[in-house]
Amino acid sequence: MESDVIVVIVVATALAFDFTNGFHDTANVVATSISTRAMAPRLAVGYAAVLNFVGAFISLEVAATVARDVVDPGAITLIAVFAGLVGAIAWNLTTWYFGLPSSSSHALIGGLVGAVLVAEGPDAIFFESGILGKVMIPALLAPTLAFLVGGAAILVLYRIVGNLRPARVTRGFRGGQIVSGGLLALAHGTNDAQKTMGVITLALIANGTVSGNSVEVPDWVVVSAATAIALGTYVGGWRIIKTMGSRIHKMDSAQGFAAQGAGSAVILASTQVGFPLSTTHTISGAVIGSGAAKRLSAVRWGVAGNIIAAWVVTLPAAAGIGALTYGITRLFGTGAVGPVVVSALILSGATLLVVRRAQQGPPVSTAADA
Amino acid sequence: MRLAIIDTGDLLKVVWTSIVAGIGVTAAFGLAILGAGRAMDYGREGRPIEALAYGTLGVAATATVVGSLVFGVLGLIDS
Repeated sequence: MESDVIVVIVVATALAFDFTNGFHDTANVVATSISTRAMAPRLAVGYAAVLNFVGAFISLEVAATVARDVVDPGAITLIAVFAGLVGAIAWNLTTWYFGLPSSSSHALIGGLVGAVLVAEGPDAIFFESGILGKVMIPALLAPTLAFLVGGAAILVLYRIVGNLRPARVTRGFRGGQIVSGGLLALAHGTNDAQKTMGVITLALIANGTVSGNSVEVPDWVVVSAATAIALGTYVGGWRIIKTMGSRIHKMDSAQGFAAQGAGSAVILASTQVGFPLSTTHTISGAVIGSGAAKRLSAVRWGVAGNIIAAWVVTLPAAAGIGALTYGITRLFGTGAVGPVVVSALILSGATLLVVRRAQQGPPVSTAADA
Repeated sequence: MRLAIIDTGDLLKVVWTSIVAGIGVTAAFGLAILGAGRAMDYGREGRPIEALAYGTLGVAATATVVGSLVFGVLGLIDS
């Protein structure tokens, strides 16, 4: 009975994380379409929310990686999963408050690893085959690849359409961005919603609800994760619309198309083989690549530097918070009291940060500003 | 030795798929715009053969883009 209460808390926490993931990443998904005026802001946000929802149903490879290949599902406990989620949420809130371009995905993996490391020891973590092979290396490869593909794609496009009338080219690529922007939203929903599905499945395995041998993701987990990320995208979009226009780097519609195409290609290819990568960093890599190929000075290299710094810091920082959260939760024993107390604390902290941020003005920037 | 724990096959698959899809499909869409634009221009100038050739290029490029997208999404669903 008590473990069922903890499962409910863990599922609610995971869905809250999924909602904030959609909320946080809306800018990355819709910014390009809106800044090139390929789509009206309201339409772009609604379109992205629907395709985020649809994308979550396309594949379960990433969910299986998170549930099976990062930590040992046979050794994990519900409290460890809970602490990992809280570590990720706390890090996301902190970086959001200070306007740092952090990755929700890396925070989730980091929080989980930190909590499991303290709870079960290093043997419960698949450092080489899981963390290194399926998280760290793809995390480095994806933004680099998106940068190169985005850059090469825009050079090829300029070569093909360079002699056409600019108005015709702009009109054509704005039409194309309706497709490429939709594909990017689909890719985002596919990769990011699955991470939450993987964590919920991990909790269900720890509770004995789901077998650890086959790692089957229940249908209700897929539907609830899809709904949470789509709602987060939609709600987050309204906040983005208010600040859009002045903060997004100006790019032409061909660059927007190339960036969205490159980002989608890398995310979807990675999803197919089950790599849980940072969609934020991948999209940013493609945007920077399409800008740098045209003119190096067109890119805000400071923002690019911040992304790299955040990449290095996020995993260990979220791991530290996850480990600390596990320690605090265990002070109350192995029952439901610890998760309830910690949930109340994180909720209070989140409210405080949101209120303070509202008083001080919007956070500095998102990764897509690059 | 460390390479043994990394699935290089999957990594290489991501690399070549991304390059083919990211650059190839984008270039195909560029060719679709080029084909449609030039076909209209030559049509207006009364040069039907050139208009037909560029129109064919535009249609073929559009079909390539649509086919690639359908193939890619179906591939994901099947995986």
